[in-house]
Amino acid sequence: AAMRSRAEVDATLQTAKVNPAELLPVVQCLSFGPQAGGGECCLLQLEPGLCAELEAGRSLVIRGEKDEHAVLCSKDKTYDMKIADTSNMLLFVPGCKTPEELNADPTSCNIIHSQIAGFSKNYWELRRCRPKLKKLRKLLMEDPYEGPDSRKDQTSTFSKYTTEDLFSLIQASEEEILHQLQVIDACKIEGYWRILDFDYEMKLLNHVTQLIDSESWPLSKVPLSVCLEELGSLEPREMIEHILLSYGRKYIDDAGEVFFEMREDKICRAIAQMLLRNAVKFNLSEFEEVWQQSVPEGMKTRLDQLQGLALVDKSSRPETIFLLKVEDLPEDNQERFNSLFGIRQKWTEVDITPYIQDLCAEKQTVGALLTKYARSSMLNGVKVYNSRRPIS
Amino acid sequence: LSHSGGTGALAQWVLVELQGEVEPRQSRDLSESLLGDLHYTCEGVPVLIVGHHILYGKVVQLEKPFAVLVKQGGAPQPSPTEPHGHYTVTALIKTKLLFKTRPKPIITHVPKKV
Repeated sequence: AAMRSRAEVDATLQTAKVNPAELLPVVQCLSFGPQAGGGECCLLQLEPGLCAELEAGRSLVIRGEKDEHAVLCSKDKTYDMKIADTSNMLLFVPGCKTPEELNADPTSCNIIHSQIAGFSKNYWELRRCRPKLKKLRKLLMEDPYEGPDSRKDQTSTFSKYTTEDLFSLIQASEEEILHQLQVIDACKIEGYWRILDFDYEMKLLNHVTQLIDSESWPLSKVPLSVCLEELGSLEPREMIEHILLSYGRKYIDDAGEVFFEMREDKICRAIAQMLLRNAVKFNLSEFEEVWQQSVPEGMKTRLDQLQGLALVDKSSRPETIFLLKVEDLPEDNQERFNSLFGIRQKWTEVDITPYIQDLCAEKQTVGALLTKYARSSMLNGVKVYNSRRPIS
Repeated sequence: LSHSGGTGALAQWVLVELQGEVEPRQSRDLSESLLGDLHYTCEGVPVLIVGHHILYGKVVQLEKPFAVLVKQGGAPQPSPTEPHGHYTVTALIKTKLLFKTRPKPIITHVPKKV
């Protein structure tokens, strides 16, 4: 089709009874480009910060397997994607000029031909969400590392995951994934990320705590070099260092020596987990006694060390305690609450908080979550929360 | 699974938002067919003449800019429900021309022969 001429444009203006004197001199004739109807272009509405990231040359990635809802990841954040329908037609026009641009660039031409690159009735909306990290632990738990002596590794047919594998499989940004790997004490062995088998982890921890005891070191000053020397014949040096990093805080003294300040809470917590794994539930006072006796000399056990790991049943006589790990519970908000109310009908805020804290969105509080997903009532003068709906 | 990139600065496009459907006057497909003439008044009000309609609109700076994603590699059409596949960010859109007022029909005489 022949392009419109200025004369044709002027004739149309005349027919439309528009006074050309009231218009800027340049007209832009818009037509549909050859690819316009192809539907290959789509629009993504950008949350604050993302536009700047794109302009700085950084990437955005859409992640999700066929059975997952897609998410968009920047370097450090994750967003849910949702289609927004408008009732209007959105045309995207490259090179279309605004009045400011036309005024700023007085050209001699009075007609521009612009092609519409594509059009859509909808666009993708983004909403910041929690990174979907439960899958990370699930993947790494497929084949926990049991130590160099384990025959399993040689014959194992399980998948092992590199950093790149995890980036492509987990619906989260790279920074969120790397941070989570640190949080769950994963380590890289032969290029693959591994989680330690719990028994092996406790074996390593026990080597260290026994050495601390026999050397009479203060818990705040455990020397790396001596640990490696003394324990290096029992376990790989990387594993000794890994367990120290997991259960201690590394620092360097004035002489340049590396030491660890052992993390009392984390060690007590791990030992509690070791004890609680062996039965469905325990008599609380018996457990507390055994637990205190099992931790290294100088460490003090406290029930608040077990938040998100174990739950005390104060209604049973005698009182009992059982293992309940927050990381074993569903990731989705509604499913998490359903699961918690299935375990216990009524919860106090103090008891339930460790089990829903991780669900909080960027500026959300536990209180807001409880308002949304639970119903409150008073029980013996104490505020308790129960399900909004009947649990089957 | 994927995403965006591109060397060099991203192009800036403009969004034109119209009410209702856009259909070609002739029965052939949309490609290569004319939409209309876009003018601006001296005050910067966009005026779009589409077929027998005249539309007045306004220039809007978008609070949330758009990225234009182009699907790569001749894969099947992206489903409106799940955006799986490879995409490249082709352009950013920070400005839109919004034509929301009801179009005024142009009462035509026989158009002047040019």
